[in-house]
Amino acid sequence: MRGVWAQVDGVGRLVTTNVTYTTRLLLMIYVSIRATFFDQAQGLRTIFSVVSSQIYFTGWQAMPLITVLALASGGVVILQSSSNLNLLGGAQMIGNLLVVIVVRELGPLLTALVVVARSGTAVASEVGNMRANREIEALESMGINPLSYIVFPRMLGGVVSVICLATYFVLISLLGGFVITKLIHDIPFNFYVDSLSRAVAFEDIWLFLLKNAFSGMIIFVISCYQGLSVKKSPTEVPIVTTQAVVKSIIYVIVFNMSVTTLFYLHELVRIGVL
Amino acid sequence: MSQPSKQFPEIKQLSFEHMTFRYDNSAPVFEDVSFDLPTDQYVWIRSLHTGAGRSTLLQIMAGLAPITAGKYSINDKNVGDMSFEEFLPYRLSIGYSFDFGGLLHNQSLYDNMMLPLLYHKLCTPVEAERKVKMYMQELGILRYKDQRPSAVQGSVRKIACLLRPLLMSPQLLLLDDPSLGLGQEVVLKYFDLIQDLRRDGLAKHVYISTFDEKLMGLLEHQEVFIDNGQLHATSDGYEKKVVSL
Repeated sequence: MRGVWAQVDGVGRLVTTNVTYTTRLLLMIYVSIRATFFDQAQGLRTIFSVVSSQIYFTGWQAMPLITVLALASGGVVILQSSSNLNLLGGAQMIGNLLVVIVVRELGPLLTALVVVARSGTAVASEVGNMRANREIEALESMGINPLSYIVFPRMLGGVVSVICLATYFVLISLLGGFVITKLIHDIPFNFYVDSLSRAVAFEDIWLFLLKNAFSGMIIFVISCYQGLSVKKSPTEVPIVTTQAVVKSIIYVIVFNMSVTTLFYLHELVRIGVL
Repeated sequence: MSQPSKQFPEIKQLSFEHMTFRYDNSAPVFEDVSFDLPTDQYVWIRSLHTGAGRSTLLQIMAGLAPITAGKYSINDKNVGDMSFEEFLPYRLSIGYSFDFGGLLHNQSLYDNMMLPLLYHKLCTPVEAERKVKMYMQELGILRYKDQRPSAVQGSVRKIACLLRPLLMSPQLLLLDDPSLGLGQEVVLKYFDLIQDLRRDGLAKHVYISTFDEKLMGLLEHQEVFIDNGQLHATSDGYEKKVVSL
């Protein structure tokens, strides 16, 4: 009996810890947006120069890696889809399959994982080191709110970068992947484009934007939060960086899965199955 | 030269009322301190030994370290009751120089100095540039202006860290070990700059935490002693205690 209670207690603690953590993240998002737009004497021009640097580091510099990943995954998905659909006699369904796999799922998730690996770690360690080097304290002493100067620009830059990178991923994946596949498997281009354009719907676009915008937000808020949790010592920096990566991945996957589940439940309700 | 602090409320009075400060769960650095800090002069923050809380006192005065209990008041207004925005006008009138660190490592020394002026639009970019270059030239670090803090020697970082609060033309200047690692010539030039500000009616209250008796011997000042978690003015006889050691 005691073992059961201990397990219930453990689950309760886990839920409480995660709810508290999520609440703190949401509070941080709210306060940083509020500090940026509503506080007096905050220099928006300076803040937006930090946003553009963040977009450069997160978006522009990640493009080579995204290109390779998109070509590889796009090529594999198109090759497998077309050959298997041909065998089953449903070649015209290739567009639908690609939209479901690449646009709705693979694009947002792989882009988010690349951004976590490249920029989430960078931001967490940068902010952590800033804390250890008393740079955050220095900003406060100059009357600069770290939430508007550090957190908000990284959050906004992250959201913009993830959306752009995911769009780029999908384009490269679908078009570049097609070119690669064309070398080993004959698919008429017109047929391919026509199938794709018929498959893309309005819901796919908003699902894509929703997933990427929130993934960007999640990654950079968690990274900043973990970085700011450093107290004094530089030895804390690698610890918070690892925590930022783990938490970002978990939150991004849980969010993407939740959105996908809700979307399909909605679809089932719409067609009258549920 | 612009005088931004004139836009902000004048700092006339600084006091503690039953103030207690402790780091996390450690023993209190200050306990139940009630003290009116001297104003309109140089004030030497002294202690018998290191770790007594001199830097902590300056951080509390700068509003960087929230006190654990009691009140820290500026012009009879409790700093603990103010939000970041409410405290901002006071904060922009307070210049705080760190004993170490405190420069943004992803920016050049020049950008570090320009940041508060441009961020708060305390003066035009042209005026800010002129002012920053003049101050850097004065203390001989202009040639390092495009270097990042990690690329220059400690003394250059220290000078940059000392100059930044002066650029904001503060009313209250808090200097944590200003002469640490610097030659006497540079330190004297720095205090000449403070004197220039004082002549313009700025940097009225200057608090210096240091063990440099030679430097303080050159300045007419009052002393505040930190002993056993309490603050004492010179008049309390604490000077004798230091001399007897």
